[in-house]
Amino acid sequence: MMNRRSLLTGGARALGIAALAQLFGEDFAHAEGLSGIPQFKPTAKRVIYLFQSGAPSQMDLFDYKPGLANLRSTELPASIRMGQRLTGMTATQTSFPVAPSMFKFAQYGQQGAWVSELMPHTAKVVDDLCFIKSMNTEQINHDPAVTFCQTGFQLAGRPSIGAWLAYGLGSENKDLPAFVVMISQGSGNPNDQPLYDRLWGSGFLPTRYQGVKFRAGADPVLFLSNPPGVDGAMRRRFLDDLASLNEMNGAQFHDPEVATRVAQYEMAYRMQTSVPELTDLSKESDKTFEMYGPEARRPGTFAANCLLARRLAERGVRFIQLFHRGWDQHNNLPAQIRGQSKDTDQASAALVTDLKQRGLLDDTLVVWGGEFGRTVYCQGKLTADDYGRDHHPRCFTVWMAGGGVKPGMTLGETDDFSYNIVRDPVDIHDLHATILRTLGIDHTKLTYKFQGRHFRLTDVKGKIVNQVLKTA
Amino acid sequence: MKYWLFIPLLCAPALFAADTVEFNRDIRPILSDHCYTCHGPDQSNRKTKLRFDTEAGAKQNLGGRFAIVPGDPAHSEMLQRISAGNSPTRMPPAYAGAAALSDHDIDLIRRWIAQGAVWQKHWSLIPPKRPELPQVSDPTWVRNPIDNFVLARLDKEGLKPSPEAGKAALLRRVTFDLTGLPPTPAELDAFLADNSPGAYEKVVDRLLASPRYGEKMAFRWLDAARYADTNGYQTDAERYMWRWRDWVIDAFNKNMPFDEFTIEQIAGDLLPNATLDQKIASGFNRNHRGNGEGGIIPEEYAVEYVVDRVGTTSTVWMGLTVGCARCHDHKYDPIKQKEFYQLYAYFDNIPERGNAEKYGNSAPVIKAPTRDQQQHLDTLDADIRGDEAAFASAEKKNAREERNWEKKIAPDAQWFPSRSLVGPFSGAQTVGDVAEFGFTDKFTLAARINATAPNGAILGRGKDAAESTGYTLLLANGHLQLNLVQRWLDDALRVESVDTVPLNGWHHVAATYDGSKFASGVHLYIDGVESKLKINLDQLNQEFRTKEPLRIGGGAGPENRFQGAIGEVRIYKADLPAATVAVLATETPLHGLAAIPAKNRTAAQRDKLHLAWLDAYSPEPVRNSWHALEQAHEDRDKFYDSIQTVMVMQERPDVRETHLLIRGSYDRPGEKVERGVPAILPPLPAGVPNNRLGLAKWFVDPGNPLTARVTVNRFWQSYFGTGIVKTVDDFGSQGEWPSNPELLDWLATEFIRTGWNVKQMQKTIVMSATYRQSSRASEELVARDPENRLLARGPRLRLPAEMIRDQALAVSGLLVEKIGGPSVKPYQPAGLWKELSGGEDYQQDKGPAEYRRSLYTFWKRAAPPPMMMNFDSAGREMCTVRETRTNTPLQALDLMNDRTFVEASRMLAARMMREGGADPIGYGFRLVTSRQPTDKEMSVLTRGYAYYLDRFTKDEASAAKLIAEGDAPVDASLNKPALAAYTNIASLMLNLDEAVTKQ
Repeated sequence: MMNRRSLLTGGARALGIAALAQLFGEDFAHAEGLSGIPQFKPTAKRVIYLFQSGAPSQMDLFDYKPGLANLRSTELPASIRMGQRLTGMTATQTSFPVAPSMFKFAQYGQQGAWVSELMPHTAKVVDDLCFIKSMNTEQINHDPAVTFCQTGFQLAGRPSIGAWLAYGLGSENKDLPAFVVMISQGSGNPNDQPLYDRLWGSGFLPTRYQGVKFRAGADPVLFLSNPPGVDGAMRRRFLDDLASLNEMNGAQFHDPEVATRVAQYEMAYRMQTSVPELTDLSKESDKTFEMYGPEARRPGTFAANCLLARRLAERGVRFIQLFHRGWDQHNNLPAQIRGQSKDTDQASAALVTDLKQRGLLDDTLVVWGGEFGRTVYCQGKLTADDYGRDHHPRCFTVWMAGGGVKPGMTLGETDDFSYNIVRDPVDIHDLHATILRTLGIDHTKLTYKFQGRHFRLTDVKGKIVNQVLKTA
Repeated sequence: MKYWLFIPLLCAPALFAADTVEFNRDIRPILSDHCYTCHGPDQSNRKTKLRFDTEAGAKQNLGGRFAIVPGDPAHSEMLQRISAGNSPTRMPPAYAGAAALSDHDIDLIRRWIAQGAVWQKHWSLIPPKRPELPQVSDPTWVRNPIDNFVLARLDKEGLKPSPEAGKAALLRRVTFDLTGLPPTPAELDAFLADNSPGAYEKVVDRLLASPRYGEKMAFRWLDAARYADTNGYQTDAERYMWRWRDWVIDAFNKNMPFDEFTIEQIAGDLLPNATLDQKIASGFNRNHRGNGEGGIIPEEYAVEYVVDRVGTTSTVWMGLTVGCARCHDHKYDPIKQKEFYQLYAYFDNIPERGNAEKYGNSAPVIKAPTRDQQQHLDTLDADIRGDEAAFASAEKKNAREERNWEKKIAPDAQWFPSRSLVGPFSGAQTVGDVAEFGFTDKFTLAARINATAPNGAILGRGKDAAESTGYTLLLANGHLQLNLVQRWLDDALRVESVDTVPLNGWHHVAATYDGSKFASGVHLYIDGVESKLKINLDQLNQEFRTKEPLRIGGGAGPENRFQGAIGEVRIYKADLPAATVAVLATETPLHGLAAIPAKNRTAAQRDKLHLAWLDAYSPEPVRNSWHALEQAHEDRDKFYDSIQTVMVMQERPDVRETHLLIRGSYDRPGEKVERGVPAILPPLPAGVPNNRLGLAKWFVDPGNPLTARVTVNRFWQSYFGTGIVKTVDDFGSQGEWPSNPELLDWLATEFIRTGWNVKQMQKTIVMSATYRQSSRASEELVARDPENRLLARGPRLRLPAEMIRDQALAVSGLLVEKIGGPSVKPYQPAGLWKELSGGEDYQQDKGPAEYRRSLYTFWKRAAPPPMMMNFDSAGREMCTVRETRTNTPLQALDLMNDRTFVEASRMLAARMMREGGADPIGYGFRLVTSRQPTDKEMSVLTRGYAYYLDRFTKDEASAAKLIAEGDAPVDASLNKPALAAYTNIASLMLNLDEAVTKQ
């Protein structure tokens, strides 16, 4: 019976060397990546990006501003606002009363990081984390801001960061895609900002580099399961027959695409085994579940996705991105952020700890953060136990861990209102440049020529934030 | 993939190597890519006077030094600098992160200088001249001029064309290429049996005449036009542009000349006495995304829409990356930033808002009845005319009766309009679940009030809190105020009367709303007189419908309690006209009105009396004919309201000033600019207006060097996979040199010569010997020319996504052919929409809508159909003209396991069993591939069938499960295990490389 091996030996002469190389090399992305990449010795081999969609409130979680308690309900001084453009949601508001966080903060770890009571588990691992409190962006609305975070440009159409990395670095695992995406719904704002498939799309890069969405349920990857009534043995027979038929016809054309197609069907077959094995959490220990929290047993939750992220990292997937919706808390922020923090705190911290225990944190970069911050002034009515916050692009907090990033430090500082950055600003391009640097990539060299221009993730900007890198 | 990506690049120099170095072909691309960033057209970036984008700039005297001395490489400093290895003087400079030029490029520049450094204007900006037909080695091979150019090139390369493809292969190829579907067995038999010399041409003519041709041609145009069924951006809700899509199909089918097509797509609305169709056509430039996210800054997005139009129009008609000049002068091409905004000025004069509608179409829109709808509308109008005539005659006959009636009206008789009435109610109360209105509903709220305080809610539905979601009519500082609120401040409408309602006395107040979402759709009346409006907030974008009860004298919070009395609350499910509101306000009973001498009555008094007569007191013939007329109007309005709009282009009456935007930023206007085309291109033709219409005519002026070339190049790409200019979207300096410049120019001039005849151009291409070649190739030829740029063989390409699905539907007999109409929702795995937004999920259609051609599949930008995306469809976020093809495991999973293909396999299997006679497998194989399987293939298929049959016979339950996939009913007359086994064989056929490939 014709199988992949006989296709290779039998068809080797006919298919040519290039095609043969494809058979081995071409899976989801070329295994080796672009020539000349990485340019530097990488400190991270892969990235897990825990994207907090909707924009978490920095001053209720990490950016502690004790002085605000005394300024409660007072107008935000114009000297602080400095003409910052407001979203249309509060532009017509006539008053901008300061709304201090109602959550208690304490200092943790050797670095003495301030963390709010909403994040008790994160607080325990602060010495593994590097906080950047001086993140900022140009975008004030969700769609452009998330698009900016994902692609380095505010309008849809450019490749996402994961697609760039799949293109540049290729895959470490021939049975799994280089770029995997998982989505979860938070318990915060249920009508939170929607996501879009294009956020993990390949833009003008070939579509092979787009993120593959893993979903909860019977088909973790779309169309992964055989149709009802067709078992693995039938599928194997099918693929063997398909390969021999394709070879018979393909021999007349010497078209390397034929051999590639055969290889892709084999890859699909391997995925049918490797993906269910990957997403089957039944062999994880009770201890692990304890660490990630009870939600980790519920497929599709952020906690379950964090655990899956570790399993993907173990298998060498390059770029693993979780999107957790629900942080867009314009009103009822205190109630919503409680739930939202509960969703994410334990599992995020557990992921860092778990990776560390398994020796994976050294070469896995974990990033936690959203698309912008939230305003210190109240949106809507400020009451004793309720407030809301509008979008705020000028500062927000992101943390990173592992992958060559310095642990136990905090970079950047905001003013007393968590409104403006007073030290070490880091913008999205800088963050991208820095993530690429940990992977050994010079962000100015990872380019793709499209419509006459050599595009890159960092557009024409991006400074590596050397202060947070061990190697710098 | 590495190798596959790079082989073509490595081969490129070999493909185009020649003894004479040619500036445009060999040198400009090097200068553009390596030098123009600092020594190019962008003056703000030029560090020195030296520039390589103009001849004068490159050869100028720089204080006794010369970058380029023609004929003298040794004294050309540029050559020394680029070959300076790792020295700090090397250009491009290492300190700027630039890599050194390759030895190959340096050698080319050296030879070019040695040969005299002859400069050329960029090739694509020189109008195409019709080239002489070159002599070829084998004139008998030539079928039309295309072949002269292709064979001349092959002669130069020492290559021979391939023999003509077999008839079956050719038929399958040309049928896909012209209609997007495979040939039927009957079509195949007919062609195989036709041995006449004109057999192939007959087929081509048949295909070009098929309505499927227009559908096929439309698909790529939709990609270019970024057509979709949703608005894009945040909520990405539905919009309705399918009338525009259907216009495109129709235009291709009618073979509208491309110049006319161009003019109507860009400026159909500006044509004299523009027809509905011409206006619809102009929707091309409204297919861009629209942002309805709460809180956006409208000006910012208004700019983005115009930028999108400029970029899309430039890519589609000029093949230039004009968008690069938005923020600065173009880095590579001679387009100044100012010129970008001069083009921009053609597209920014439409009455639109930056904050687009969240749901539905954004203005400007027009009603776009289909032919059927227009017919129905005409019928309804005729009904109205009939009813009017009947009423007029009845009314006239009874005029005397009316005057008599006025004399004997009972003293307590009162009348108010009752059609569409909710109520009346009197006094403050919580009424309950009536008068439920949403943001697209028309309504009227009216009451008679006696207010003792200037603030208070009169009536409304919404939580009992200020500015809560819902609608509220209230008094605010004595002014009548209507609030329509989704979310207070950013998604709300608030208007109030300039006049005040006097306190401590009875006054009538009313508000009408036309369901438009805009303040301009609200009217406020005090005592039947319309008041001027003060618009406080005009940002309603979402539904404000609520389950809260109707409250009279309540709602809007305790701070807004109404003080005084409320009577005669009348709410109508219609936006009453001013005259009717005046009647409502007229309190005097009928008897009192009749007592006023006729000539002294106000219009409202007269109307009230007359309407009362018609509605309630006239003899039956009058009453009935009046009610019939009212009903006819209502029917007509209702139907008219149900007709979908389409977004179109329109000009504002006044011309908006356009400014250059510094760094492209919406909030940094620079100098004022006038409409104009880039100076490097010819000026507008004489006699055309300097507006969009003139611009459209300029595109298709025969003197325009780009439009014809760019268009035929895209056509070429659709047949051969790669354009003659590979960068179909970039004919500028950074674009690729045409693989056969003379062929491109011949096609371009031929296109113009034939009056931009689109069908004829397709025919010319598919009739050529070049196109008809077999795609079988030797290993050597594939290695030498992997992308088939030289065309020594026929095209062999994976089918585009839509054709893969359409083929499966066609060969399985599932395909439902119907042209046009609203988009449809076939199978898609559940949850794909919901998991992105938490909102509504995809609601799959049932019945024929599941099996329409993929052209009609609902395209949601945030979550496009996964099968289409797996097979490299354009995402429809922005203009896409380049075709891409990848080969991935997700495609394999999709073809094997997607319900679409599983169901199609089962239906194909049933067809094989029913129609295949003694040879079901051969029959099915031929349906899919247009040929009989070889013995070896047959043996694989037969043994495979035996295996599956054995498995399914032993396990009938599995057979039953497999054949139950999909909504199409199972043919119960067929043996289940056999049907399941054939289903797997049919699936195998649909998964064949050959099946998804045109070869």
